[in-house]
Amino acid sequence: MTEQSYKKAIAYQEQEPESYRKKHLKRFLKFYLTPGWRDPEFLSQEYQIDKIKSKRRRFRRLLRPLTLLGIVMIIFILILAVYTPWLTPYTIDELTIPYIPPGEKPFDAPSAVHLLGTTKYGYDVLARIIWGARTTILMALIPVSISIGGGLILGTISAYFGGTVDYLMMRFVDLMYGFPNLVLVIILVPILGQQLFTSLVIYGFLFIPYRIRFMRSLALQVKQLEFIEAAKTGGAQKFKVMFKHIIPNAISPMVIAFFGGAAVAVLGLAGLAFIGFGDPTVASWGTDINWARATFSNVNAAFWPGLLIGITSIGFMLVGDGLRDALDPRLSL
Amino acid sequence: MIIPMLILVLTFAWVLSHMMTVSPITNKLAGLVDAEVIQAELERVGYYDPWYVQLGLYYKNFFTGDWGKSYVIRDQVPVIDVILEIYPRTIELMIIPIVLSPFLAVKLGLSSAKHKDKSKDIFIRALAIFGAGFPVFWIATLLQLTFGYYLEIFTYGALDFPVVFANTPGMKYPAPAGRFKTGFRIIDSFLYNDQLYLWDTLIRLILPALCVTFVSLAAITRQTRSSMLDVLDQDYIRTARAKGVIEKDVINKHALRNALLPTSNLIIGGTATALLGSFFIEVTFDYKGFGYYMVRSIFLGDYLVINGLLVFSTVILLTGTLVADVMYTIIDPRITYT
Repeated sequence: MTEQSYKKAIAYQEQEPESYRKKHLKRFLKFYLTPGWRDPEFLSQEYQIDKIKSKRRRFRRLLRPLTLLGIVMIIFILILAVYTPWLTPYTIDELTIPYIPPGEKPFDAPSAVHLLGTTKYGYDVLARIIWGARTTILMALIPVSISIGGGLILGTISAYFGGTVDYLMMRFVDLMYGFPNLVLVIILVPILGQQLFTSLVIYGFLFIPYRIRFMRSLALQVKQLEFIEAAKTGGAQKFKVMFKHIIPNAISPMVIAFFGGAAVAVLGLAGLAFIGFGDPTVASWGTDINWARATFSNVNAAFWPGLLIGITSIGFMLVGDGLRDALDPRLSL
Repeated sequence: MIIPMLILVLTFAWVLSHMMTVSPITNKLAGLVDAEVIQAELERVGYYDPWYVQLGLYYKNFFTGDWGKSYVIRDQVPVIDVILEIYPRTIELMIIPIVLSPFLAVKLGLSSAKHKDKSKDIFIRALAIFGAGFPVFWIATLLQLTFGYYLEIFTYGALDFPVVFANTPGMKYPAPAGRFKTGFRIIDSFLYNDQLYLWDTLIRLILPALCVTFVSLAAITRQTRSSMLDVLDQDYIRTARAKGVIEKDVINKHALRNALLPTSNLIIGGTATALLGSFFIEVTFDYKGFGYYMVRSIFLGDYLVINGLLVFSTVILLTGTLVADVMYTIIDPRITYT
């Protein structure tokens, strides 16, 4: 932040704090990032410190061209997912299994009506691609949220309590490490039902053990620091120590892992749909490729869905890499 | 550790096959709606036995070497025979990526880290992120289209089986006649000195092997690059350079050995996974190996084959973990298991 903006902030504080702040909330947002900005004296001290630092390295590191490219890719997919009904005249019921469009030739070449041609049963390829964005966003977010959330809680508990709990948890993790994970997904999904959410939840749960082990190693490092000891001496309850002191201090590698995990989940679940275990009632890019791979009359039907899967996962990967560079000072890529 | 794991896996596989919704009986007796016939068949396979009898029988048969017989896929062929028949194919497909990709990837990652932010580095990173980000089956499909359909250099089907594409040529040359066969087509062709068969086999292996190599290459290259950059920042590298060690030795002796630790994890894990076959590649190219059979048997509900394959793959993964532990002590002498 520049000198000017600091002086402005201090000036605002001195004039009419409440009303002005409410009126110009947007201008004040950046100051919320500075700790203790409400106190004018503290703010000016902070300014001096910042001046010595001379640059806000974290954000400067974050906003690199590759990371920006990743953010643009994710935003593109998000736009497709959010504004779907405006982008395409088709509804989801006209593009999925029970409905078969009358008078359409399957795997037709591109024409004025169907810009990218048609796929199996005569569905429009472009419309299916746009509707597939919603499925893909779900595929990216839900499984990773489940696995990261579960891993965060169980890993912290395992690291904090130690002893029998830790031993049992680690044996369970070892057991799950022994299974081939993708094989297990492919077996479990047809057994438990092919609905989209079932497969997402199964995928999330199967990846919890990996997160447990990761989180446990992080929490064990934090557990030995002094402020945990101080909190315990102060009489804090166990769960308060865990959730208010350990987790916030160990969370940043997990946040980075979120993006990498999202990329892997998109690829894995698209692969599941490609093999033929996808939910037939949603538009999914993996299913599109599966349908189109055996025919060569309309190449677009196989090309574009795969390209978009790639864009999504590369976007998440680039953002994850950028975050790791910014948040993890040890690694400088 | 392996034996209790194996028993747990067996139990788990058995529970899974109990939960299965696909009925192998209806798939086998396709077209029959006679309730009595289905009933008789259900009784014959022991559907109405209590669960402990079924589980006990399962354990007993498993450890006496009787893994059951395939029910739907191949009529009444023992599962062990099925695995012995299909497994050489997967090994044959995967042996090139397993040998080639670690060496190539470590080399690529090294040169990428050495020439950071130069054009070489940008090119390698773009290649790696392309391989890691785009789905395997999509790359495989595009390769199939380009080289199999438009250019007609390679075939886009697999070995000598009927495939989904009606116009796919099968193997042009039949397998050499002979009593003794290893199952590895390349070794067979050398045994019987059949060059046409060898050429035919190789031309069908190139595209799938290329895909697998490319994808595993990407992951290992990324890992090597990041850990190499991490290591090159360390103090002991500066010390080595200050001592006057030549740059080649700094990279190969001081840096690479430390950078390989996280990478070796990936390499060994990747090898174990590769030995199980890549479902996507095998399904795309209709290569009837391990992964393809797994998918088929799940589709048709052939639960004995599923159980056999699952247990087999678990054994391979566990062996991989064991090998990884041993390799760690070789790479990093500081680690000891007591």
